[in-house]
Amino acid sequence: MKELKSFSPLRTFSHIYVEKEILSHPITEKILNRFPKSIIIEIDSYKEVFSRSNQNYKVQELSKKLILAKKRKEFIYPGPPLCPNFGQYYFYYTTLILNCIFSCDYCFLKGMYPSAHIVVFVNIEDYFKEIDEILKDHPLYLSISYNTDLLALENIVPFFSMFLNYAENKKDLIIEVRTKSCNLKIWEELKPRDNVILSWTLLPDEIIKKYEKTPSLDLRIKAIKKAIDHHWIVRLNFDPLIYVEDYKEVYKRFVEKVFQEIDPSKIYDLSIGVFRIPKDYFKRMKKIFINEVTLFPYEEGDNAYTYPHELKKELINFLIENVSLYIPKEKIFTI
Amino acid sequence: MIFFVISFYQEAKPLIEHFKLQKILSSKFEIFSNNQIFLILTREGIIRSSIGTTFLLTRFSAQEKDMAINLGICGAKNRNFQKGDIILCHKIINHYTKKAFYPDIIVNHDMKEGVLESFMIPVKKDIKEEIEGDIVDMEGAGFFESASFFLPPHNIHCIKIVYDFLDYEKIKKEEISNLIYHHIPKIEKFIYSLLELNKYEKLPFEEENIKDMVEKLKESLNLTFSMTHELEKYLKGYIIRKGNIPKEIFDFINIKANSKKERKEYFERIKKLLSP
Repeated sequence: MKELKSFSPLRTFSHIYVEKEILSHPITEKILNRFPKSIIIEIDSYKEVFSRSNQNYKVQELSKKLILAKKRKEFIYPGPPLCPNFGQYYFYYTTLILNCIFSCDYCFLKGMYPSAHIVVFVNIEDYFKEIDEILKDHPLYLSISYNTDLLALENIVPFFSMFLNYAENKKDLIIEVRTKSCNLKIWEELKPRDNVILSWTLLPDEIIKKYEKTPSLDLRIKAIKKAIDHHWIVRLNFDPLIYVEDYKEVYKRFVEKVFQEIDPSKIYDLSIGVFRIPKDYFKRMKKIFINEVTLFPYEEGDNAYTYPHELKKELINFLIENVSLYIPKEKIFTI
Repeated sequence: MIFFVISFYQEAKPLIEHFKLQKILSSKFEIFSNNQIFLILTREGIIRSSIGTTFLLTRFSAQEKDMAINLGICGAKNRNFQKGDIILCHKIINHYTKKAFYPDIIVNHDMKEGVLESFMIPVKKDIKEEIEGDIVDMEGAGFFESASFFLPPHNIHCIKIVYDFLDYEKIKKEEISNLIYHHIPKIEKFIYSLLELNKYEKLPFEEENIKDMVEKLKESLNLTFSMTHELEKYLKGYIIRKGNIPKEIFDFINIKANSKKERKEYFERIKKLLSP
């Protein structure tokens, strides 16, 4: 949602909060060097800032701050039921970063977290230790960009590159990185790995313009083509599908455009899912964000709100019908 | 509304004069106002500041979009600051509980920034080693903790003006007022930016118009509580999508639902009309 403002917000990361314990961690130093003009504020725990009461997510989005912290426990979580597992039994996710540099009106993060500020857990080495332990018991399909867009922040904190190095030669580990980013250079510079899936979320440009502050569809397509050219494994997510009155025309044009530009045979697989959000997150989100997304008359399921059953079916079937002109059905996953 | 929490009259005097505030209350606390700004004098101390803040924000029913500012003089730990510097505090520490408070600084401003630490007693140089903050006072932490119960952290701020360097100078009343008076343009600019920031959150429709329409429909169709709530949501959604209320909805205002069955039928028709 775009709105006019007649005041001047401070730039993103004008203030960086740093837990005292990790002040001299190499990643902390790297990040602080990247922002020499930011004001550094020492804190004891990231929760002092991130979990304050009465915060206004919408206002904070105008000038997001950075919080550098140490993750002390629970490095890996089982994949939530509202996320597609692509047939992977050992589907887990990890949260190196909380919150996203982008802003989408429909994003569940707006209801999940009390703050729009971005938390970076700098102690990635502890995550690797935990993954090592899990891999001793069973293989792992790990989504590393679940509560954030890791690739969009790669210039600030190179967690993706670090994960690539870590994952090399680990045959039982598959990494999925979800993104809406449009970085081109990274795909030329980094070596592709056969256990790393780059997972782009795509929506029609009309919907991006209306509901997102993110790179355009064209820019994302360019990045995808570059990654494919450099032999990366690429997944596409047409998820969430957002209902608009003329969705048939909008999504038909969108699917045609995507596959006119991207060779469908180079796509590893594709997911389709409608907008859905856990009930608790939605309740919190609609208190602050009053817009077309939060005022839609959704259907209440067991744990989530989503489009009414008939509409959901209609949207998904329409997409499957159009996508399957380009991608074999066995490669299309729906949720 | 703008709430100022200030300990002494000499600190408040420049604001009282500049904003033309009149004394409206003089019992436990003195309060000055011009109907938009409310200023309370709490006298010194963390507890008094906390009580004064709670009293002010409760008495005048502070809402989320209101702001609270604690303004006053402070001592600076070292010479990074100069006498007369105006400081917007980005961290406020209660020296005794070690609890820290963090305002959200979202808008640009012309002040320096620093960490404030609040004490119960006047602070002298000889305890400098114990001080974690850049500046010290006797109110900020009490004010902030209380204000946090009522307002979001982007609307709570401590603004301090350096008076001494903990050398325990005798305080000259006239000098305090002059130091603060000098910074009124910066304080005023900051307040205006915050007012604009709060307007940024403005709803995309007039809440009153919607409530009025919902009330009329509730009356005519004898809607239940949950139906009324749902209707309000549907109306807002429609206005956000289409920009106005559909003309057809006015037809339902003059209808009278005579049974539960009729009420349900009319309600379903309205929902259909307002659905995406």
